[in-house]
Amino acid sequence: MGEIVLEMKNIVKDFPGVRALDQVNFQARAGEVLALMGENGAGKSTLMKVLSGVWPYPTYEGDIYLRGELKRFYSTKDAEASGVAIIYQELNLIPELTVAENIFLDRQITNTLGVINWSKLFAETQRLLDELHIEDFRPTDKVRDLTVGKQQMVEIAKALSKKADVLVFDEPTSALTDKEVEALFEIIRKLKRQGVCMSYISHKMEELQQIADRVVVLRDGRTIGEVTPMAEITLDQLISRMVGRDVKDMFPKGKCQRGEKILEVRNFEIDNPALPGQKKIKNASFCAYQGEILGISGLMGSGRTELVSGIFGAPPGPARGEIYLNNQPVHFRSPRDAIKKGIGLVTEDRKRIGLILGQSIIQNMMISSLETVTNLMGVINEAKERSLGQNYVNQLAIKTPGLDVKIDTLSGGNQQKVILAKWLNTKPKVLILDEPTRGIDVGAKVEIYNLLNRLVEEGVTVIIISSELPEVMGISDRILVMCEGEIVAELTRNEATKELIMAYATGSRRKGG
Amino acid sequence: MATTAPNNETAQNFLQGEGMQTLLKFLKDNGTLVALVVLMLIFSFWDESFFTPRNLTNLARQTTIVGIIAVGMTLVIIINGIDLSVGSIVGLAAIVVTMLMQAGVNPWVAIMITLFLTGVLIGIWNGFWIAHYNIPPFIITLGMMTIARGVALTLSDGGSVPVTDPIFAEIGGGFLSITISMIVVLVILGFVFFSQFRELKQKQQYGVAVRRQDVITTTVVTLLAGGLTLYAFTYRGIPYPVVIFAIIAFVGTFVLQNTKFGRRIYAMGGNEEAARLSGINIYRMKIGIYCIITSLSALAGIILASRLNGASPNLGNMFELDAISAVIIGGTSFSGGVGTIIGTVIGAFIISVLNNGMSLLEVPTFYQLIIKGLIIILAVWFDVLSKKKHG
Ligand SMILES: Nc1ncnc2c1ncn2[C@@H]1O[C@H](COP(=O)(O)OP(=O)(O)OP(=O)(O)O)[C@@H](O)[C@H]1O
Ligand SMILES: [Mg+2]
Repeated sequence: MGEIVLEMKNIVKDFPGVRALDQVNFQARAGEVLALMGENGAGKSTLMKVLSGVWPYPTYEGDIYLRGELKRFYSTKDAEASGVAIIYQELNLIPELTVAENIFLDRQITNTLGVINWSKLFAETQRLLDELHIEDFRPTDKVRDLTVGKQQMVEIAKALSKKADVLVFDEPTSALTDKEVEALFEIIRKLKRQGVCMSYISHKMEELQQIADRVVVLRDGRTIGEVTPMAEITLDQLISRMVGRDVKDMFPKGKCQRGEKILEVRNFEIDNPALPGQKKIKNASFCAYQGEILGISGLMGSGRTELVSGIFGAPPGPARGEIYLNNQPVHFRSPRDAIKKGIGLVTEDRKRIGLILGQSIIQNMMISSLETVTNLMGVINEAKERSLGQNYVNQLAIKTPGLDVKIDTLSGGNQQKVILAKWLNTKPKVLILDEPTRGIDVGAKVEIYNLLNRLVEEGVTVIIISSELPEVMGISDRILVMCEGEIVAELTRNEATKELIMAYATGSRRKGG
Repeated sequence: MATTAPNNETAQNFLQGEGMQTLLKFLKDNGTLVALVVLMLIFSFWDESFFTPRNLTNLARQTTIVGIIAVGMTLVIIINGIDLSVGSIVGLAAIVVTMLMQAGVNPWVAIMITLFLTGVLIGIWNGFWIAHYNIPPFIITLGMMTIARGVALTLSDGGSVPVTDPIFAEIGGGFLSITISMIVVLVILGFVFFSQFRELKQKQQYGVAVRRQDVITTTVVTLLAGGLTLYAFTYRGIPYPVVIFAIIAFVGTFVLQNTKFGRRIYAMGGNEEAARLSGINIYRMKIGIYCIITSLSALAGIILASRLNGASPNLGNMFELDAISAVIIGGTSFSGGVGTIIGTVIGAFIISVLNNGMSLLEVPTFYQLIIKGLIIILAVWFDVLSKKKHG
């Protein structure tokens, strides 16, 4: 293992009402991947933002050393100049620009007059993409037209193009397909050989076991234990370091009898508005019952999100088909109709279409169900609203200094809990969750599973989309598998195996085969 | 981001004192209010006729026209929209209401018809194009700006229309009597203090930290504003348009802060797609909001016609700019989701203090335009700056 490249000493960072980092110390070496783990809100992203100049000197206390030299970054540019680059947890691309422009955003390739040299810009980008073995998009594509996963790859390419020797990955794989993850790991291994010092934040254990050399755990803004080689620590030890207690059962499963048929979808189809004649969803039919959790599995892009948004009254194109709720035909022209009839949808893309950024927690929590806190004239009863909100904060253990802070300031997991509270407050009959545990720590995941189990016991029908096979197999009673816009299999909990689901999801096995 | 201030140096002890900190925080949080006070002070010292009950009464009345429109504009800008047609609608409404009365229609009926035709209907038209076809509001209302002006010119054949009805003239020119005005102002002051007190109680109940400084500043501001109003209205009492404006501003504030509709407006402005997926009927909301602003503009036109005792088709020219400026000076963000009516009211007063003061000082109109523009830029720059230090 190489020399110590990065050292952070006694870092303290305060936000109004919270101390996000409290005397954090750690060192990272050349040619290693140091995993940074911890619950949501533990301070991982904040620590890396201190390192990369997002929180500039002197808004924090403590010292940062690079190769033994004390560094003070007044901006992200400063940090980049010293060879520190970061791939942020949230996407920061400009949708209207091309991939190439985004990658070289702050250092466009121009001639002496400042005119952009397009051919060189595109050629440079293509070289970069080739190096990363990215073939799914071209330098000239607009970022707007790419899926979230591909946008994430653009972010990665952008950070790598800076030729940094300290590189931070903040949950880079949360939206990537398996193939993309593999490609990324290949790149990381290469960088490792080149002696780049990398720090990698993730909630996915399997991933870290594959790629990380050492691991350090943060809890409540403090490092817990020493930096430990990945090989010398067990999963359970890691979890108990993170959560502060032992987690016995990763996938708790309530006992519940399947009840009546609640939701039935027949011959549901959605046209692809971009390609006339093509369909995003082909002839989908399925049922969901009271007292069960229905899982939907499939590869990214297999149409899972489109299917559930279609049912929710927000299809991405013209939709046809029949939906029955309690055996009554229903027709949702908008999400509003669906919500009124007792359907809730926790969307996949939290930042873009889930949260109302810049606004308070309570505003986000109540926006779908203002009726529960208003009188007939539409006037809000603030006392009622707050006590309701506070209830959810306690019940879901949302970590926040108050109900009035902006939702932006919460960690990803806590943001997700606010969204869950928002839908719980609509008192749904059917709650659909699209990748609800993406970017969420183990402790909170188990809390969410427990919550789903409780909902099911209370008679709510839960439908959950998940790309993580252990998750979908662990908590569902039945699993639908989708492939290229079709439901290709319906498996019971007992039938489902990883291999079987993957075989259907990749299309190597067809219906009834 | 929170900057941790060094607190070990004796020289800085004074700056760290509670009084100084209160003042600094106040300046930072209430930039526009401070700007308004400073402007008023400057004009008061410069020209003794500025700070007289008579001039202050006039100033308040001048503010109402643009102020009423700006209240509506606040809602529109919060949802990421814009309405450029408001100025032309002022002109059109003025023409329509005066011509109806000329034709012998009862003034109240004429007002109702005008509000419906030039307010509600045009609002639905604007809102429909914006909501249904997703056409940028800038384009649709730009079109309406020309159309409405054209219709006003056509109807009046380019000439002006006089008003003869004495009742109608009262709307823009009349006053609440001095005694009633005093009572009203005192009641409002009492109400403000009462609700302050209740809010304080509630906050304590919820465990929200209450800073003594905040309480002191709001008390001082309220007292000053109350005193100023009492002084100004010793002239002849409160002008009716000011009463109307105050009611509209109050209702607007209440709606934005305390109702379902208000919450939805902010949500739409913050993230329209998320709002839609949360069950908000974007379509209806947009049509409603564009109706509100055109109706308020029509009302402003009616009041203006009443005050001027007549209408000309060119009334309201460039009002859209004043209204938008008031909203932006008042801290509403052009990127949506953020803004308050009280800010807009202060913004509207800043603009009319500028207009009024510069006219008193006989600054040539051409220069007035330049100065106004510069001040708007300055105000926004200050706002951006203080937010940056804050955020
Ligand atoms: N801009 C901000 N303003 C105020 N508080 C903040 C801000 N950013 C983060 N925090 C707070 O700091 C703490 C640490 O947050 P951070 O984002 O670093 O967590 P994290 O470990 O990255 O969590 P996650 O796994 O959910 O991404 C949280 O309590 C969060 O609410
Ligand atoms: Mg994070």
